[in-house]
Amino acid sequence: MTSLLLVAQVTADAAARVGEGRIQGGWGYVAASYAIAYGAMAAYAVSLWLRRPRGGKSEE
Amino acid sequence: MNDKYRALRNGLAVLGVLTLAVGAYMGLSWAPAEREMGEVYRIIYVHVPAMWMALLAVTLNLVCCISYLFKASWGKDALAEASAEVAVLFGGFGLVLGSIWAKPTWGVWWDWDPRLTSMSVMLVAYLGYLAMRKFVEDPEKRAVWSAVVGIIAYVDIPIVWFSVKWWRTLHQVQSTPKTVDADMTLALRVNAFAFLFLMAFFVWNRYRIARAQRAAEVALPEALPTSAGHTSTGPVPGVLS
Repeated sequence: MTSLLLVAQVTADAAARVGEGRIQGGWGYVAASYAIAYGAMAAYAVSLWLRRPRGGKSEE
Repeated sequence: MNDKYRALRNGLAVLGVLTLAVGAYMGLSWAPAEREMGEVYRIIYVHVPAMWMALLAVTLNLVCCISYLFKASWGKDALAEASAEVAVLFGGFGLVLGSIWAKPTWGVWWDWDPRLTSMSVMLVAYLGYLAMRKFVEDPEKRAVWSAVVGIIAYVDIPIVWFSVKWWRTLHQVQSTPKTVDADMTLALRVNAFAFLFLMAFFVWNRYRIARAQRAAEVALPEALPTSAGHTSTGPVPGVLS
């Protein structure tokens, strides 16, 4: 019984140590990254639309 | 035929946006947090696909450049131009996302490590490629010179890919599905396909613009009258198709 408690304690300690190294928060960086990625692609799509060939038959 | 192509192009865009929406949900909510980076690692779902698309686009550019030198065609030249511009788009914002990810994980926005440096060199090289295309007015010279520049610029790409293996870098080596959670792999693949559909849509539309520009450029000298009633001997549409 004592050894089982000891194993449980060691496991709990190990789990706590792993958690200590984790970066907390950071959603601001994530939001900024997704906004830049999607914004850049949307802006490029608009630029393609503005530069689209007009009139006449376009070659594919 | 044009209607069929238009439907295909629009279909690519719709497919890309829908897959991107699913990918955003998976990347931001469905996939588990990373053991050490926590939530910040979710940048991977936009950063890595962007870089993959940049590398794919420059490889397409290389194929067009080599192919053009063997058998000249305005189509190959236009596709080379389109792929280089799209590569700069994905590489440019992909590098910015990498910098944002670096701040919370490495503690700095930027480091002159081999991966970041070689990627920056790639961007500068392809920006130079696009700038050169703007400066050369003769379409044939422009096509030949830019094909040569495109091949030279690609020398940097193996360095970008292998830099994390050849040198000790801050940037991690490529992960494999064996080393990450299966849910993370699936979320990354969904986002990669979304970016792939959108990249194809961008390249196709940019190609159409380049083809229209080439057609206008090569048609102009022919339309201009020259001395003794002859027409110009400039490039004629159809000679390079």
